[in-house]
Amino acid sequence: MRVWRKAWAFLVRDFRTQMSYRLALMMNVAGIFFSVAIFFFISKLLGNSINPYLTQYGGNYFAFVLVGLAVSGFMGTSMGVFASSINSAQTEGTLEVMLVTPTKLSEIVFFSSLWSFAFTAFNILVYLVIGALVFGLNLSHANIPVALIILALIVSIFSGIGIISASFIMILKRGDPVSWLFGSVAGIMSGTFFPIQVLPVWLQKFSYIFPLFYGLRGMRLALLKGASLSAVAPNILVLTAFVIAIIPLSLICFKYGVRRAKVDGSLATY
Amino acid sequence: MMTTKITARDRINETYAIETVDLTKAYRPPGKIASIAMRSPIKAEVLAVDKVNLKVREGELFGLIGPNGAGKTTLVKMLATLLWPTSGQAFIKGLDTRTKEAKVKSNIGFVSGEERSFYWRLTGRQNLRFFASLGNLFGQTRERRIQDVLDRLELSDAADNMVYSYSSGMKQKLSIARGLLVDPAVLFLDEPTKSIDPVIARRIKRFIRDDLVDGEGKTVFLTSHRLEEIEQLCDRFAIIDHGRITFCGTVDELAGTMGSVDDLTLEDMFVEYISKKEVV
Repeated sequence: MRVWRKAWAFLVRDFRTQMSYRLALMMNVAGIFFSVAIFFFISKLLGNSINPYLTQYGGNYFAFVLVGLAVSGFMGTSMGVFASSINSAQTEGTLEVMLVTPTKLSEIVFFSSLWSFAFTAFNILVYLVIGALVFGLNLSHANIPVALIILALIVSIFSGIGIISASFIMILKRGDPVSWLFGSVAGIMSGTFFPIQVLPVWLQKFSYIFPLFYGLRGMRLALLKGASLSAVAPNILVLTAFVIAIIPLSLICFKYGVRRAKVDGSLATY
Repeated sequence: MMTTKITARDRINETYAIETVDLTKAYRPPGKIASIAMRSPIKAEVLAVDKVNLKVREGELFGLIGPNGAGKTTLVKMLATLLWPTSGQAFIKGLDTRTKEAKVKSNIGFVSGEERSFYWRLTGRQNLRFFASLGNLFGQTRERRIQDVLDRLELSDAADNMVYSYSSGMKQKLSIARGLLVDPAVLFLDEPTKSIDPVIARRIKRFIRDDLVDGEGKTVFLTSHRLEEIEQLCDRFAIIDHGRITFCGTVDELAGTMGSVDDLTLEDMFVEYISKKEVV
């Protein structure tokens, strides 16, 4: 019960802070509209030229890229939110004051991420609603339960990577190599904006080592083709293997990071 | 040198609010790989706190003074569980700060002189609500406690304004209010009157001495560069220099160690004391 109440306190804190910047919130929604519009017109421009690559996802680039944006939005939040919550508490000067309370650092970091996940979900919903209502995105065949399973796996994997990244931030303060690798390289290799088939064949092979590739493929099949659980099972199995490997590793890294920061006294410095 | 570990059994008949046993903190430079990734301010090992032994009684207002870089902040951070000692032990109400961290945290409040430790886009009350929740206070109990500390620190009228509209003095009072939320037995005050005007500083000092210590019997551990504050408020104080406690006692006892010091303030004595140590 206490845990839920604490989690709620973090959500309320971040919601109130966000709501105090009303113009930024309105601009955020407007930004989504323009971003969706840009991809809609790019899709019109491309027409059927890249459709052979998109056949397995229904042949529509607009729908393809919107799902890519949604998934990479969650990936970005999962990967960045833990490190940024530590970083902003360090710069705001609130971290030390939180750390002398009976609330554990792991709880502080986890609860601080909740608002970002909620806000990302809101953004994605706005993306899809604008896409559907204004630009004719068709998700009528979507298999939502399967999409949610895949989303949960994606969030778990990238949260694990995000926690490893936060462990680096605790020690190095800035410039963690983990989020750089998964943020920039995976964006190209995993097929967020284009199918990996357009990459040179030798480069395509590297896509298979990035979990985002399997997440995007499974999510597109579930949302755009209404694929069943058994149809996307190979993707789910690979994602589950990533979860099993990354989550324990991330917890070990986090424990080590806290230990190092408490020994060298640098937890609240930035 | 080997340090004897103090066990729970040793402590049954002798519990202080704060106690340290050979408490030591050494900052070491990072290894070769880490120093490639980030420049460190530490080039060689620094002994920030060196075998400190202190005993602070329950209900005592204890001061800690020392020159800049003497080890005050490091010592307070170790007592407040923010930093692990390199060796030695620290106890709060008999609880080891390393092994009983969670219980220690339930017994302490921490008031920083740092103005930036609030969410400036939230009101004072919303800030207190958030920090009270982290201290396991919820519902009506939390609201009553918040109103109580706001009233006591004369902040009720401004409680629903955003913190960014607060003056330095109001932020400092809010910081003390936050430190008192969980009704801690031991309160650490790190320069509580830094950068605030003399009128508010006097009110805060009275509140600390009359209400918190004499009225409620709390133990207060105060660090300050304002030595008249230490002189006016503290039952005893310690001088820390180069990580070592070089004096611990009352103002009169310090005067006694220095010969004829009629009409000298603590500040005069402190300056002379530190100068002599440097000459030695």
